[in-house]
Amino acid sequence: MPLAKRTSRPNVNDSCKKITDLIFNYLTDRLTPAVRREFERHLRICPDCVNFLNTYKKTISLTGSLVIREMPRNVRATVLAFLRQKPHRIVVLFFSLLAQATL
Amino acid sequence: MRPEEKTSYKDKEITMPAMPAVEVSSPRISMSRAGMREAIVKRTGPMAVPRRRKSASKDSEIIERLKNGEQEALEIVFNLYSRKLYSVAHRILGEAADTEEVIQDVFWTVYRKAKSFKGDSQLSTWLYRLTVNAALGRVRRSKKKKEVEYEEFLPKFQEDGHHRVRPVVDWSDTLDEKYAQREIQALVGKALDQLKPIDKSIMVLSDLEGLSDKEISAAMNLTVSAVKTRLHRARLFLRGNLAVQLGHSAA
Repeated sequence: MPLAKRTSRPNVNDSCKKITDLIFNYLTDRLTPAVRREFERHLRICPDCVNFLNTYKKTISLTGSLVIREMPRNVRATVLAFLRQKPHRIVVLFFSLLAQATL
Repeated sequence: MRPEEKTSYKDKEITMPAMPAVEVSSPRISMSRAGMREAIVKRTGPMAVPRRRKSASKDSEIIERLKNGEQEALEIVFNLYSRKLYSVAHRILGEAADTEEVIQDVFWTVYRKAKSFKGDSQLSTWLYRLTVNAALGRVRRSKKKKEVEYEEFLPKFQEDGHHRVRPVVDWSDTLDEKYAQREIQALVGKALDQLKPIDKSIMVLSDLEGLSDKEISAAMNLTVSAVKTRLHRARLFLRGNLAVQLGHSAA
């Protein structure tokens, strides 16, 4: 596979803008075989688009590697306590309303 | 470093491996975080990532129990999903206090509205929907931040369609060498916080949580097409924003 040179210019017909628009579907394997071949052909002759694609993919992986914010123990305990109390309150409210209605 | 060296194909897997035939109508391959990272690191071609495990039967059992008002079922759902939902809400909001309230609201809604859950989506999708809606509601009510113009960080092209600023710098390989993980996390977090709340939500569900476009569409009440368009644009913005933070051109 011959290496692309910085001086090489891709064919005007397959512009970098078009390639950029196709990246999303390329990465999820949703290009038709013909379009994918064109996409990859452009990459072989355009170092700028290779670099763009690499940084686009890196961006996705960086977002995916963000540290998960753990729920603090006290928050977990507070919410659980709320959930344990609240249904009970609703039942009490229901029966008190029922009792009032029957009086 | 000369541009020739920087943009050289040397050591890059430019030779595309023979990819398996893919039908256009095939469903999107869902990206788990680990699977996606591995795929990105190892391949230059399209990402091949495993589909997330689904447990529809387990879901329906829990939902039935929720519909019967079982407190224990609510706690099972809480134990299964609260960690993930807290993380999603926190990413969207950025405020710990609000996140606690959102999570409380979400599970209280689960308890109250379980009967109205029709089962046309997975339990997890419903929970994500409740969480994103609650978080976005709080964002709307909170003090509005000045929105960053996306255009400034999107790629620019010449009239003939080629990149306007050349060479495009590939900072993907050098980032981990130049910056500590904590610094990288801060850079990405800062860029993410500049996204519009709805785009940030989509990006969090996709690239952090690994939901498919279809699942995000169901969770956010958007068309799949709108999800794809917004996600691609958000990634382009984030990429450009990171490039600028690293001292390169966004274009």
